[in-house]
Amino acid sequence: MIEVQDLVVSYGTATALDHLTLTVGEGEMVALLGPNGAGKSTLANTLAGIIAPASGTVRIGGRLALIPEGRQLFPDLSVADNLALGGWRSGLRDPSSVYELLPRLAELAGRRAGVLSGGEQQMVAFGRAMMSRPEVLVVDELSLGLAPGVTADLAAHLAELNRSQGLAVLLIEQNARLAFELCSRAYVLESGRLVTEGACAELADDPRVAAAYLGGAVT
Amino acid sequence: MSAFLSYLLNGLAVGCAIALIASGLVTIHRVTGVVNFAQGTFAVVAGLCTSSLLGLGFPHGLSELAAVLAAAVAGLLTGLAAIGKRGTTPLASLIVTLGVGVLAYAVEIVLWGDQPRSAPGLAGSVTVAGAHIQTQHLLVIGVTAATFVLLALFFGRTYLGKALTACASNPYAARVVGIDVRRMGLLAFALGGLLGGIAGVLVTPLRPISFDTDVTLIVNGFAAAVFGALTRPVIALFGALLLGVAETMAAGYGYGSHQLEVALGLMIIVMIVQAGRRSAISEETV
Amino acid sequence: MTRFVRPAALLLVAAVTLVLPATLDDSALAVYILLGLAAIVTAGVSLLMGYAGQVSLGQGAFYAIGAYTAALLSLGGVPPLVGLLAAPVAAAVFALVIGTPLLRLRGHHLAFATLAMQLILLSLAGQLEFTGGDIGLQAIPQFSLGSFEASGAAAYAYMTWAGLAVVMLITHNVISSRPGRALRALATSETAAASSGIPVGRYKLVVFALSATFAGLAGGIYCFYTGYVAPGSFPVLISIQYIVMAVVGGLGTIWGAVVGATAITLLVQGLDRLASLPGMPTYAPSVLSYAVYALVLIVVVLFMPRGLVPALSRRPDRRPRR
Repeated sequence: MIEVQDLVVSYGTATALDHLTLTVGEGEMVALLGPNGAGKSTLANTLAGIIAPASGTVRIGGRLALIPEGRQLFPDLSVADNLALGGWRSGLRDPSSVYELLPRLAELAGRRAGVLSGGEQQMVAFGRAMMSRPEVLVVDELSLGLAPGVTADLAAHLAELNRSQGLAVLLIEQNARLAFELCSRAYVLESGRLVTEGACAELADDPRVAAAYLGGAVT
Repeated sequence: MSAFLSYLLNGLAVGCAIALIASGLVTIHRVTGVVNFAQGTFAVVAGLCTSSLLGLGFPHGLSELAAVLAAAVAGLLTGLAAIGKRGTTPLASLIVTLGVGVLAYAVEIVLWGDQPRSAPGLAGSVTVAGAHIQTQHLLVIGVTAATFVLLALFFGRTYLGKALTACASNPYAARVVGIDVRRMGLLAFALGGLLGGIAGVLVTPLRPISFDTDVTLIVNGFAAAVFGALTRPVIALFGALLLGVAETMAAGYGYGSHQLEVALGLMIIVMIVQAGRRSAISEETV
Repeated sequence: MTRFVRPAALLLVAAVTLVLPATLDDSALAVYILLGLAAIVTAGVSLLMGYAGQVSLGQGAFYAIGAYTAALLSLGGVPPLVGLLAAPVAAAVFALVIGTPLLRLRGHHLAFATLAMQLILLSLAGQLEFTGGDIGLQAIPQFSLGSFEASGAAAYAYMTWAGLAVVMLITHNVISSRPGRALRALATSETAAASSGIPVGRYKLVVFALSATFAGLAGGIYCFYTGYVAPGSFPVLISIQYIVMAVVGGLGTIWGAVVGATAITLLVQGLDRLASLPGMPTYAPSVLSYAVYALVLIVVVLFMPRGLVPALSRRPDRRPRR
C-alpha cells in the first residue's frame, strides 16, 4: 500500500529524511518508532502529500488518510463539521457511518471541537480520517498525551478496522509497547535514517531497541 | 428630530457600504492572512462598470449584476497576483495588492477617464416620522442586510463555506484533509471582490466615484475591520455602522470638514489599544 | 582589488555628480533634483524596511512636514538656512512623538496607521488657515546664505546632492555601527532580538525618526526649490513611490536608495517623453507612470525579493505555505 524508496526530504539545508526506504503491505499494520526529531512527522506529511520530497519515490496504492500529530482539528467548527470536512477527498459528507464506528462522536456532534478533551479530540481526528474512506491510514502519535484507557480504546478500534476491513496502518509511535502490541513489523528511525527494522517480536528482543524504547522511562 | 433621523439613516447607508468593504477584507484576511489593499479598488471597478453599462442602455439589475461579477473577477486576479506564487509572505502580498491597486488606476483611467462618474440609483424618497429618506439609502441598507445574512448562511451552512472557515481555523489541518488552501484563498479573494463590488454598485448613485476613491474606501473599510481584529465580520459590521453614522452626524451637525480625521484617528487608537493587549510574540505572527 | 575599486568608483560617482549640474539644461536639472530628493527620502524608507522590518505608507507626510516647516519659517522672515535645518528637526520631533504609540503596531497595522497619518495631515493642511489651505504656501523666498542667493537650478542641484551625501554618510554609519547590526536582527525576528537584550522599541523609534529626518530634509530643500508647497504636492502615491524605489534598489543598503530612485525616475521620465509625443492621449503620462510603479513593484516583490527578504520574511510558520 505504501512504498517509499530512497526518500530524501529537506528543509532548506537541513535534511529531515535521508534515503529512507520503507513499505507497508496490503492489510498490514506496521510501526515506525523513533525519538523526537527523528523525522517521523516529516514522513507522515510527505506521505499525505503536504511536503514535497527532494528526491526518491513515494507510491501510495490506495486512498490514504492521516491522523496528524496533535490531532489538528478545526477548533472553531463543530465535531460534525470536522467530520464532514474529513470527507473532502472522498465526497462523503454524511458522518453516520463514523457514528456507527464511534458512537461517542454522535453524542458530541454539536460541540465545538476546540473545547473537547484530548481523548475526545483524538477520537474526532480518527473519525475525520475515516471519513475519507481510507485504504491505508497513517497515525502520527496516537497515544501522545492520552490516558492509557483512551489509547487502548482507540487502538482496539484500529485493530478491529484492520481485521474486518483490511485497513493498512502505519503507526508512528514513541510508545513502543503499544506499537509492538498492534503491529507485526516495525521500523526504527533516528536522525532521518533507518537504524533497524524487522518483526516486532524480534525487535522487542533486540537489546538496543529494548533499552531505547522499552526501558522503564518509556511509557 | 427629523434631521437626526435622516442623518442616522444616511449614516447607516454609508456605514453599510463600509461594512461591505470591511467584510471583504475580513473574508480575505481570515482565509489567507493577507490584508488586501486593493479592496477599495473592487468597489471602484464595479461602480464605474455600472455607470458605463447603464450609460450604454443596459437595464438596471443586469448592469449592476455584471458590474459585481466584474469586481469578483478583479478579486480573483488580485488573488492570483497576491498569493498565486508559492512562498509569498502576507506582508509581501500586502505590497503586491498595493501594486494591483495602483495598476488599476492605469486601467481605470484608460477605460473611464479621470473624472468622477455617477450612476442613477433608485429615485425618490419616503417620509418617515417627518424625515425625508432617499429610497437609495433604504436600498443600500436592505441589500447590505441581505448580503450579510447570505454570507452568514454561506459560511455557517454550506460545505464550501465551512471549508473556507476550516482554512482560516487551521490551514495545516485543511491540507491534511485534502483542501487546497491556496485555491480556497483565491476563492476568498473572488468573494472579497464580489463584496467590494456590491459596495461599489450601491454607493455610486449616492456619491460619484472616480479611480482614486479607493483610498477613502479602503481606509474606512480597514478602520471598520480593525474593530473586529480583522477576523470577526459581525464586529466589523458594527464598527462600520458606527463609523458611517459618526461621520455623517459630524458632517450633518457642521463638523464635516474633520470627519476623515476623526475616523482615521479612531482607527489608529483602536489598533494601538488592541496591540497593547497582545503580547509581542503573538503579534509577530499576525 | 576591491580596496582600489571602491574608492575609485566613489570618486567617479562624486565627479559625475559634481559635473552634471553644470552641463544639464533646466528641465534635465529639475529631474536631477527631484531624483536626488527622492533618493534622500528613499534612503530612510529603505532603512526603516530593511533595518526595522516595517513598512511605512506615510513617508510623504514627513516630506510634507519638512516642506511646510521650512516654508512657514522663511515666509515668517527667518533666515532660510534656519528654515532648512528646522525642516528635518521638525519631522524628527513629529516622528518621535507619534512613533511612541504608533510603533506598538506592526506589519499591516503600521502600514495602515502611517497611511492614515499622512491622510490626516494632508486633510489638516488643506483646511487650516496658516498652512494656506488647499492653495498652500506660495512665494517662498529663494534659499540664501549670507550674500549668496541660490537663484539657479544648478545651486539647488548641488544642495540636493550634498544633502544626499550627508544622508548616505549617516546611513553608512548607522549600518556599520553595533546598534546597526543589532537592528538587522530586529528586521528578521523582533522576538529573537528582544530576547538577546536589544532594546527593540528604542531602536525602532530611532530608525523611524531617522527616516523622518531624511524625508524632512528633502522636504525643506524641495520647498526652496519650487518656491511653493500645497497638499497636492504630497499625494499618497508619493509614499508608494518611495517604497517602489526602496524595494527596487534593495532594502537596507547604502546605494539601494540611489539606484532605486535613479532607475524609477529615469524610467518614468522616459515614459513621460513617450507619452507626450504628438498623437498620445492626454491621460497617457499619468497612466504610464501608474502602470510602471505598479508593475515594477509587483514584479520585484514577487520575483526579485532579495532586497525584500529582511522586511518580509519575519512571519514564522504559523501558516506554513508551500
